Amino acid sequence: MTVNFEEEIKEMVSEIIEVPVERLAADADFFKDLDVDSLKAIEIVAAFEKKYRIIIPEHEIPNIKNIRQITEYTKNLKKD
Amino acid sequence: MRERRIVITGLGVIAPNGIGKEAFWDALKEGRSGIRPVKRFDTGGFKCKLAGEIEGFMPERFLGAKGLRNLDRSSRLLCSAAKLAIDDAGLKIDDGNTDDIGVCTGTTLSSLWSIAEFDKEIIEEGPLFTNAALFPGTVINAASSQVSIFFNIQGFNTTVSTGYSSSLDALKYAVDFIRMGRIKAVLVGGVESLSLANFTGFNSLGFFSGTSGEALSCPFDKRRDGIILGEGAAVAVIEDEEYAHNRKARVYGEIKGMCSSFDAFKIGRYNPVAEGLKKSMKKALMNSGLDISEIDHISASANSVPDQDRLESEAIKGVFGRLGYNIPVSSIKSMIGETFSAGGLMQVAASAGSIAHNFVPPTINYKFRDDDCDFDCVENKFRISRINNVLVNNFGPGGGSASVVISKYH
Repeated sequence: MTVNFEEEIKEMVSEIIEVPVERLAADADFFKDLDVDSLKAIEIVAAFEKKYRIIIPEHEIPNIKNIRQITEYTKNLKKD
Repeated sequence: MRERRIVITGLGVIAPNGIGKEAFWDALKEGRSGIRPVKRFDTGGFKCKLAGEIEGFMPERFLGAKGLRNLDRSSRLLCSAAKLAIDDAGLKIDDGNTDDIGVCTGTTLSSLWSIAEFDKEIIEEGPLFTNAALFPGTVINAASSQVSIFFNIQGFNTTVSTGYSSSLDALKYAVDFIRMGRIKAVLVGGVESLSLANFTGFNSLGFFSGTSGEALSCPFDKRRDGIILGEGAAVAVIEDEEYAHNRKARVYGEIKGMCSSFDAFKIGRYNPVAEGLKKSMKKALMNSGLDISEIDHISASANSVPDQDRLESEAIKGVFGRLGYNIPVSSIKSMIGETFSAGGLMQVAASAGSIAHNFVPPTINYKFRDDDCDFDCVENKFRISRINNVLVNNFGPGGGSASVVISKYH
């Protein structure tokens, strides 16, 4: 079964930051374009860690700034 | 130097029997109860299945839909009441005056739901997969802080957590802050929300009515056997008179005198002679500069607990002597239940209504007279009466007690 990670992650982020899915571009920067604050950023990370049962090392978190990066990161971890 | 006068200029109420001050006042006048079977959680395991639960509360009506996601019920209630109070006071908050305005909230159990949810998630999901967004709500000052965040209020933000008397203690703190000249206006609030955790707690301690008969909030009545728990939020905007005058604010009343005291006896037991409550009443009256004969109504803390109502009766008779038999004394807890830390501010909001519309709310569910509470309990029906000065009492078994005199503004 193919999982559309990007769509799943978009829905998750949309719920957390209260922005409709259709307005969430995969490349939009959470902080610059989507007005995400630090608490919401932690919530996003925690939500997809929980959903995919993965742990993102803390030093990697600042490098994840948009949905595309989360998707890629998740895919890679799942491959491993 | 003449002491600063402190006035009430705005009110916001979200109560089990009315949302908004007018609806709340109408309900009190009509003796309408907000006590009903609990819907929010299953009460199957409890003998008492009733609470003062707020129905039809839609926070998005007051706060907009965005930003509510991570606010627990207590924060939603308090922020909504704050919005109503700010609008009612016509208070415009901007960069020019934000440092002149503060927030002070009385609450004790408002974060219990968040604590329980956070704990549950740690146990169910494991510490590595716990929702971090639940954590900020677990602190006791969460609801009060959300008010400052929502409305950009930067003067100060304090939470007073002293059990039953919390919101009157918060009022005292705010009054003192204004009197010291450190702030011009304060949003004083009280909030508690109903959750399975606090319902279980009060039930386990044996505080609930209905353990051996009908569950009923009937203050001063012979049948009283415990509380019915309630929830709600009340916010009052209080200001330095001059500040209110300069911005041409409408004034509901003046806070004439206040006192808080503490007379802890044993854990969970009342001081057997209500020493603290008597002291609070006496000092509040003394500070008001009024003669006891000038008090037109007492808003009682009586909550249908046998000892609480008897002790308040004794305290009233002790302080007022024979006059105590002539003053109408009523308990709005007969209609909204015991809202715990929010109760004092609920009574203040009710009393502002009494002064504005010249009525005394009734003590409903009153049927059988108790000789220990043999004064004018305003049985079941409101009374039209000219109200210039109200004494509001609040106390409980924890030792905290507070009284405030609210007067018509001249």
